[in-house]
Amino acid sequence: MDAIARIANELRARFGPDIQGVESPSPTRLFVDIDRRALRGAAQALVDLGARYMVGIGTDEIARRGRLGLIHTFAFDADHVGVALRSSAPAGDPVFESITPAIPSAGWTEREYRDLLGMTFTGHPKPKRLILADDWPDGVHPLRKDVPYNLVPPAAEDVAYRLDEAPPGTTTVPIGPFHVSLHEPEHFAVFVDGETIKGCDYRGFMTHRGIEKLCQTQVSYNEVPFVAERICGICGSVHAVCYAQAVEAAAGLRISRRSEYIRTVLLEIERLHSHLLWLGIAGHLIGFDTVFMQAWRVREKVMWLAERFTGNRKTYGMVLIGGVRRDITPEIRADLEALLTTLEKEVLVLKNAVIGDTAIHRRTKGVGFLSKEETVRWSLIGPVARARGLGLDVRKDHPYAAYDDLAFDVPVVDSGDVWGTLVVRVLEIFESIAILRQALAKMPADGPLLIEVPEALPALRHGLSMVEAPRGESVHYVITGEENRPERWRVRAPTYANLQAVPAMLLDNQFADFPIILGQIDPCFSCTDRVAVIDARSGRRRVLDRAALEGLSRRPAGGRS
Amino acid sequence: MSVVAVFVNVLLFLLLAPLFEGVMRKITARVQSRQGPPVVQPYYDLLKLLGKERINSAGTWAFRLAPPAAFASILAVVALVPFGSKLNALGGRVDAVTVIYLLTLGGVSVLLGALASRNTFAAIGASREMVTMVMVEPVLAMTLILGAVRGGSLGLGAAVFSTAARGYSVATAVMLVAYLLALQAFVAKQPFDIAEAEIEILEGPFIEYSGPDYGLFRYYLMMKQMFYAWLFVAVFLPFLRTGAYAGDVLAQLAGTFIVFVLIAVVGSTNPRLRIDQAVKIYAVLVLVALGAVGLAVAGI
Repeated sequence: MDAIARIANELRARFGPDIQGVESPSPTRLFVDIDRRALRGAAQALVDLGARYMVGIGTDEIARRGRLGLIHTFAFDADHVGVALRSSAPAGDPVFESITPAIPSAGWTEREYRDLLGMTFTGHPKPKRLILADDWPDGVHPLRKDVPYNLVPPAAEDVAYRLDEAPPGTTTVPIGPFHVSLHEPEHFAVFVDGETIKGCDYRGFMTHRGIEKLCQTQVSYNEVPFVAERICGICGSVHAVCYAQAVEAAAGLRISRRSEYIRTVLLEIERLHSHLLWLGIAGHLIGFDTVFMQAWRVREKVMWLAERFTGNRKTYGMVLIGGVRRDITPEIRADLEALLTTLEKEVLVLKNAVIGDTAIHRRTKGVGFLSKEETVRWSLIGPVARARGLGLDVRKDHPYAAYDDLAFDVPVVDSGDVWGTLVVRVLEIFESIAILRQALAKMPADGPLLIEVPEALPALRHGLSMVEAPRGESVHYVITGEENRPERWRVRAPTYANLQAVPAMLLDNQFADFPIILGQIDPCFSCTDRVAVIDARSGRRRVLDRAALEGLSRRPAGGRS
Repeated sequence: MSVVAVFVNVLLFLLLAPLFEGVMRKITARVQSRQGPPVVQPYYDLLKLLGKERINSAGTWAFRLAPPAAFASILAVVALVPFGSKLNALGGRVDAVTVIYLLTLGGVSVLLGALASRNTFAAIGASREMVTMVMVEPVLAMTLILGAVRGGSLGLGAAVFSTAARGYSVATAVMLVAYLLALQAFVAKQPFDIAEAEIEILEGPFIEYSGPDYGLFRYYLMMKQMFYAWLFVAVFLPFLRTGAYAGDVLAQLAGTFIVFVLIAVVGSTNPRLRIDQAVKIYAVLVLVALGAVGLAVAGI
């Protein structure tokens, strides 16, 4: 019996009367409509069956049927199946039973829809604001369709987020909203006893600009990938690919094998870049700037690789629904292969220097420890989970693009600490290089870059897509709409899942380790906030033309022009 | 002549301390495959800081007093302890304990400024600074006391020029190792730049300082690190002497340069330690230094 039938039967057996529909549009996806009465029990049942909670999606269906929808998504990694539990509540009584007590990583999802859609979750352990600004008026829920996308309520004075009570005998150290180890505005209140961390409260989402709302109301299907790419400056293509895959899945489109290979190359270049970038930052966070500079020197080569291939050093603008925008010509392929050879040598030197450095061991081993059981309980993903003995990798568990054709290892260690995360990410660099080599060699020579996409996509179809970003799994959920744009598009970046467990990793560590413990999940707050970065620098402007910019970025190290 | 030597001393430290800082930055940059700032960058930094407006962000007199007090104390130290191989006009009137007092006064001024800033990060930095002072300064004190034991006098001449006068002994060799290991902590560079730890506590004790006050602190830190580097040369490398005053000064400056190269290389190839890890290392260093003094008392 295949996994989908087994899961569906199990749910039917236990919650038969409450199940309103079961559909499986593909052999790896199961959508179950269930009454809200049974939602909590069904979620628990899925977790008991071995599912990993991914994220929840809230929807406004008031205009269509007077209800607010709530979809919880789960992954059965070993069975290669994604499951969505779809439920709803009448708009006048949007109350659900909280699943957070049993599934802690659902905590943010529920708080998010408390803010954005006005749902209520009974039994939620921390029903505080998550996303809305502290001076946002009560009762205005911006994701509801009757709230315009550009609503700007008047700012209010004298409102502030109320931090959690500090445990007795501790002092509060404010990390943020602006702090050198954060790079983006977020606020951690760290409760310390001497130098030992005894707790932490988090207030983020300070740059929430409502990308989802924007894309559901203002732009069209094929403009979204470019917005999606700007969710994150590091794993932009991950979001673009993930979105495109979700729409393709919902609309039943199948792109050419060649464009799947090109997407794979794109994603692996991005992974190379991200791993080297993170390694540098990790060095910086433990006060080792030489690792920082050397890793970034090597990373520069990856930027050149990307520029050769896509025309851009970052934010490649390559992905469209139905395929990709640029081809890999034989010349580009030869250049990429040559660059991979030099890159591999440089990374090997870097790896030996970093892995063998006992001084780095002292700062990372045993730091930020989380047991395997806790890692499962918090639904952690990516290198953070792979450093804690869980072999999770979307590329293997839920293959997409061309990964099912390629041979590669998923490095897993079980030290459970920052050191493990570092080892996993360094080893993955070599796997990425191997994947790139194979992908370039095996790529089919023909096939359209872009398939024919019908003028109008069928409406109200659901698509669930996962992509392994360098930091972990990204999840996108798309419900197709009628006006040539998604009715609902939900983004869950890996940080959204991993950040929720940071307080658990911080507990009883030294304050000096705060930056690296947070840094090990490679937090991307802009992904989590789903920010649109708008350069609005005013005042004195220095205009650089294209030639000047190129000159600046290409000036060889050491040369002073 | 010996009065002139006082001025030569002070001027050399004032003029060259930023240069050595610049050298260190340049070497660090080269280890990191960077171009690095010009070696004179620290002069520019100081000039810029000193030309800015003074802001008393904490609003207390102690906050104001701390930077000049720290700077004055290090000036006094370098006025007393002589370049070359003879005591200057001031050095003969004080003893080794005075120098230790004055050095500690500089550290206490930093603490005073940090605690007067009323800032959480400054407070954490101050507590780390205090631990470092209590645990590392004894190595310096023992170095001078070792000289005093061997020379039979607490006078500055005996303390600083003991190796020159009596040659190397086992005790000197042990102390030399302890001093070298403590050097990174004396000058607050990696792995022991814990009290400032930019990435965790944002320069700790100095977070509230800006403009001329911060400039004075920076100048103080540069002079202090040059003093510690130079003292190593003066105490442990007595063979760097030519007989002529000017020649001795140049030879010692060359030695100091080499010590700075060492500091820069060690600093750029190590991550920062945590204070709990550092304290264990400091404890060993203090014990080794104490052992060296013990050996000297026993005449070994």
